[in-house]
Amino acid sequence: MRPVLLAGHERALTQIKYNREGDIIFSTAKDQHICAWFAHNGERLGTYHGHQGAIWTVDVDPTSTIIASGSADNTIRLWEVKTGKLLKTWDFPTAVKRVEFNEDGTKLLGVTEKRMGHLGTIVVLDIKVDPEAEQSDEKVMTIVCEESKATVAGWSYLSKYIIAGHEDGSVSQYDGKTGDLIYNVNVHELGSPITDLQWNQDRTYFITASKDKTAKLITAKELEVLKTYVADTPLNSAAITPKKEFVILGGGQAAMDVTTTSARQGKFEARFYHKIFEEEIGRVRGHFGPLNTVAADPTGKGYASGGEDGYVRVHLFDKGYFDFNYEVERERQNRLAAQGGN
Amino acid sequence: MAAQAKHDWADDDDLDEITTDLPPPQKIQNKDGSTTIIEYRYNENNQKVKTTRRIRYITHREVVNPRVAERKSWAKFGQSARDPAGPAPDTTSVGENIIFRPSINWRKDAKDESKDPNAQAMKDKLKDKKVKCRICNGEHFTARCPYKDTMAPIGEAAGADVAAGMGDEAGAAGGASAGVGAAGAGKKGSYVPPALRGAGGAAAAGAGERMGGKYGERDDLATLRVTNVSEMAEENELRDMFERFGRVTRVFLAKDRDTGLAKGFAFISFADRGDAVKACAKMDGFGFRHLILRVEFAKKAQ
Repeated sequence: MRPVLLAGHERALTQIKYNREGDIIFSTAKDQHICAWFAHNGERLGTYHGHQGAIWTVDVDPTSTIIASGSADNTIRLWEVKTGKLLKTWDFPTAVKRVEFNEDGTKLLGVTEKRMGHLGTIVVLDIKVDPEAEQSDEKVMTIVCEESKATVAGWSYLSKYIIAGHEDGSVSQYDGKTGDLIYNVNVHELGSPITDLQWNQDRTYFITASKDKTAKLITAKELEVLKTYVADTPLNSAAITPKKEFVILGGGQAAMDVTTTSARQGKFEARFYHKIFEEEIGRVRGHFGPLNTVAADPTGKGYASGGEDGYVRVHLFDKGYFDFNYEVERERQNRLAAQGGN
Repeated sequence: MAAQAKHDWADDDDLDEITTDLPPPQKIQNKDGSTTIIEYRYNENNQKVKTTRRIRYITHREVVNPRVAERKSWAKFGQSARDPAGPAPDTTSVGENIIFRPSINWRKDAKDESKDPNAQAMKDKLKDKKVKCRICNGEHFTARCPYKDTMAPIGEAAGADVAAGMGDEAGAAGGASAGVGAAGAGKKGSYVPPALRGAGGAAAAGAGERMGGKYGERDDLATLRVTNVSEMAEENELRDMFERFGRVTRVFLAKDRDTGLAKGFAFISFADRGDAVKACAKMDGFGFRHLILRVEFAKKAQ
């Protein structure tokens, strides 16, 4: 496969998001604009300007009408996808590290940083998915993380729970309506922060990536760890691929140590693991810095990765990717085919 | 093109030497459905470059969600507002091809790569150690020596400073180290390389002749050994003398490295053996610079 390189940012990438149909990619970096790209050919649709600091996060609503972004300038901003127009700005006391729409796009959660005497919080905002509508200023709900600040968070299926990953390596489940803490489970090594949390398509389970060099597949309802993927480098991001039962992990040693090591030792590769068998099945090299974010195309045709090197690489898988099956998977398919024949 | 100062022969294929105007671009429709486009342009060195591209247009039809189709028609905005349709080259480029084939044996495949660091470590260890050829003292392994079949190792050919049979081509490269003559071959009790065995005294010349390098085999049949050549002789003179009989492919006159004087023998290779026979008959006993030449066929090394 020939990856498409997107050089729209001057600084390290922070997050990449595909929209629901997988035709547009949104990317944010530590420079101060968001880029929107067409996924099929890498053409840039436009840039969104207005933030005054590094942008940490972006998310798009299911209809691809509006996007929300969180930045180190202590704001969450809402943009119209089509025109790049800024629709709304919410101010917070500290930087916003994560935003995510719920499944129908009516609610937005934001994770704010713990800093300057403020505790880390998860805030929920009501959103009207309409570029013309007046958005409300009011925060519907604020969850304060007293023990360990949240680094990532997301909405489960039916907006029933808010799942948050914490700096101490634990995962919490909050009630989606009341904000009450239901569970807090230590899944990753104590003290190694969770760096990413991404859902499967129906949001019944998710994958977390952590600095403890593992990624874990966890159910939303019971916070049960289903699978563990062990890597040999701190992980920054993990994604679940649709269509094929794989997960993609991205990492590499900390950005500050990069210059002291060679690219090979740096392990700047996207790692593919089989979701069920937890075995590594391949790597894709290309970045010359750690991978900060990976995102899987919702159509299952490809994936995109963003690195500390400032590049987004968009990959469309070859046939070999779709043909790959474990022996047991093949046998099962054959058996099913035979049964279908009878 | 004629005014072209620095002309690189390697570019000849792409250059048209006669005309100065650029020919119009051509479009040729091939039988297999592809199109060949030939374009001409000047590169930064003012050289004319011909670019031939073969393109096959494949219409790939894809049915997409109407919303996706609608989004494709959206106007660009922000920093891309002024970009034309299609990917802009400053933001979008295509990377090199990556082979990604998921495999259960992935780790096994990767092990081959992990050998590299080991090999590297070995290299580092040997970095300070000089490789020295036992035959010619050159910086290569003895087994790799170009003279390994024709020369004895250096110690056994002590004092032999005969640049015996160094070919024109090899002479430049071999230089001093090639001075190990076949003299060693005659010494009793010393190691004789297989190539020189059983050749006896005359082998000195024969073997030397072999040392003409990679052309040795070919030259063997039509090479003359000329001895009793004057110290003052020059290769040109010899060439002139022998060219009367036919095309001379090679003249080698052994010279002393330090004084530059001839050592008294030479090899002449002819393109045709018939000419060599003629030359041998005529030139044997020929008087040249107060000396009587002795000409005979060079003996092939065994």
